[in-house]
Amino acid sequence: MKLQHALGGLEGLDTITPEIEVFVEPWEKRIFGIHTAMMALSNHLDTSIPDYAIDDVPTTFKSFWTWGHLRQGAEGMHPFEYFRLRYYEKWLGGISGFFVSEGYITQEELDARTAEFLEDSTAAAAPLPSGGAPAIDDQVVKYLKEGDSPMRPLEAPPKFSLGEQVKIKIVSPGAHSRLPGNLQGRVATVVKVYEGAFTYFFPTADGIGVPMPVYSLAFQPEDLWDESLIEPDSVYYNDIFEVYIEAA
Amino acid sequence: MPSNYPGFRYGADRETFSAAKVKALESLLIEKGVITGKTVDTILGYFETEMGPFNGAKVVAKAWVDPAFKKLLLEDCNAACEAMDFPEGMSGAEGEHMRIVENTPEVHNVIVCTLCSCYPWPTLGLPPYWFKDPTFRARVVREPRVVLSEFGVELDESVTVKVWDSSAQIRWWVLPMRPAGTEGMSETELASLLTPEAMMGVATVSV
Repeated sequence: MKLQHALGGLEGLDTITPEIEVFVEPWEKRIFGIHTAMMALSNHLDTSIPDYAIDDVPTTFKSFWTWGHLRQGAEGMHPFEYFRLRYYEKWLGGISGFFVSEGYITQEELDARTAEFLEDSTAAAAPLPSGGAPAIDDQVVKYLKEGDSPMRPLEAPPKFSLGEQVKIKIVSPGAHSRLPGNLQGRVATVVKVYEGAFTYFFPTADGIGVPMPVYSLAFQPEDLWDESLIEPDSVYYNDIFEVYIEAA
Repeated sequence: MPSNYPGFRYGADRETFSAAKVKALESLLIEKGVITGKTVDTILGYFETEMGPFNGAKVVAKAWVDPAFKKLLLEDCNAACEAMDFPEGMSGAEGEHMRIVENTPEVHNVIVCTLCSCYPWPTLGLPPYWFKDPTFRARVVREPRVVLSEFGVELDESVTVKVWDSSAQIRWWVLPMRPAGTEGMSETELASLLTPEAMMGVATVSV
């Protein structure tokens, strides 16, 4: 498990200085937009609940790209690198690496273009290329409006029921996980069994991806932390996929 | 717009390099037909006019004045948001399954995503940096009262703090308490009091 899989409760960190801006440098907006376009143009949307005729969209993007792919990239980083980089710096590294590895661009042309903008302030300030098929942007807006719901029909009854005491399994997160590592082995109470089943974008080594029930679990602080570290009268809740849960 | 948070302020060379690299990437993607020259601006514009905290503020203001709407909102957040006079898309990207929790004199709720930055886009737009900050994500799950006090929220000892982490597919936000002194205000005036921070539980609403 990497440190980014198990952030919860770390000691010795700084006081919070709230930064309320969404973007702290103008360039960050551009990588956010590129990532969102990739999600909106991803080839898996032909199997989504909204009716996306994704094969007909005149983009050259034919890859599978979701939040899961972005998260897997960040979770795969060296932990110290993860914390050295600001949020959108991780995105820029992961996304540009993906376009190179999938063959849309080469590392050489990306490096050469970057160097050109660094050396030539006129080129750096020049407008971006224009043009492109408007149907690409129509699909992007349609995705923003209609989303990509992970809810699917429930195929088998949920294993656990409201009020039941359960325990979080001890599992290796592998390349990508939706289980905060600090919850492994901890007990909790089921406070809600969500309607339906939830898929994930792709199967992970630790077992999510096929549609399965999700539970809202309540963890008491004394079940998570040493007595000397807990605050009185607080409850921690998390939504947990069924595969991560076993009977207490 | 350099950040006011020293932890996010990096040397000018580092920002200049990232700016050049992202422009290089975007220009190549346009030339190769992956996206158009307008795609990124279309997306950014959407978050300025269609999806953003201005929607959540109107939902909260309506819940403060309309008990039947508030009941629906707490029971079925998506149905309530879709019943608003908003553009289509309230159950769109990153809002397909939303839940809202109510602050009361007895309970204060705060939202976190320790694994990344899950956030209800249709009603609150994009997450501010404090929400994405590993320090906030690490600390609020164990010491929410101390973290809230650093945001300026001082809770009475009698208040229960509930921390809601988003590790699956539900996107969470908070229905704050209506402040005293707002009797007779219109929904528009009430909506103007709300901030993303109040609707994620790290601020209270005041007049």
